[in-house]
Amino acid sequence: MQRDLSFKWYFPHTPAAVWACLTEQEAIAEWLMKNDFRPVVGHKFNFHTKPIPKMDFDGIIYCEVLEVEALKRLVYSWKGGPAPGVITLDTILTWTLIPKENGTEVRLEHSGFKGFKNYLSSLFMGAGWNGRIRKRLETLLNENANATT
Amino acid sequence: MPLPDPFQAIADPGRREILFLLSKEKLSMNALAENFEISRPAVSKHVKILYEAGLIMITEVGRERYCELNPDGFKEIRAWMAYYEEFWNAKMVNFGKVLNKRMKQ
Repeated sequence: MQRDLSFKWYFPHTPAAVWACLTEQEAIAEWLMKNDFRPVVGHKFNFHTKPIPKMDFDGIIYCEVLEVEALKRLVYSWKGGPAPGVITLDTILTWTLIPKENGTEVRLEHSGFKGFKNYLSSLFMGAGWNGRIRKRLETLLNENANATT
Repeated sequence: MPLPDPFQAIADPGRREILFLLSKEKLSMNALAENFEISRPAVSKHVKILYEAGLIMITEVGRERYCELNPDGFKEIRAWMAYYEEFWNAKMVNFGKVLNKRMKQ
């Protein structure tokens, strides 16, 4: 049931200019959200925005930089949920820049949107269920996931 | 009345236990109720809340009602995907504007 979102955009600017806009804190704050991003693998950072109660989202996105390949590729996690420590949206953003004639193509993969069972599993974990029950549940959920995919 | 929110539906330990049991197999209301010390009406009430939140399906076979997990019941995932589809397209319009502005400076 896992699904990904894929996008493609074109900008009439060099990969260097696009990369700067994608990775400089002030620029990101201007086009996306307030943040403490740094293009360093392992750096943990947050985005801050307005909460969306009907989506069970408290307005904080928890991220970690996973890959940086200057001017080419940037990968970070993108997680959020209804309260600190409760993650119900556990996704990954992969940005790829492709040089084109007179510009740059920007591709974004927003992946890891998981189905109900994974969500359930994450809730059981968040609810502080003990290890034995959690393991049993995880095993069951994995079996179910294998059976249905 | 708005539909119960799945997250709140799962906030109750009894309801989590029901989902846990149903993650193993489809169960009749009677079989489900046997797993709990609470009264059958109380179990029914939990089932109703889970059903209204879209997390489980109920089918009637003869006089017995069967409960099972609703694999498509997780509306939030679809809601999130629809949300981000629009979100990224809007944000990248901003991105283009910021990029243009920075290049003019």
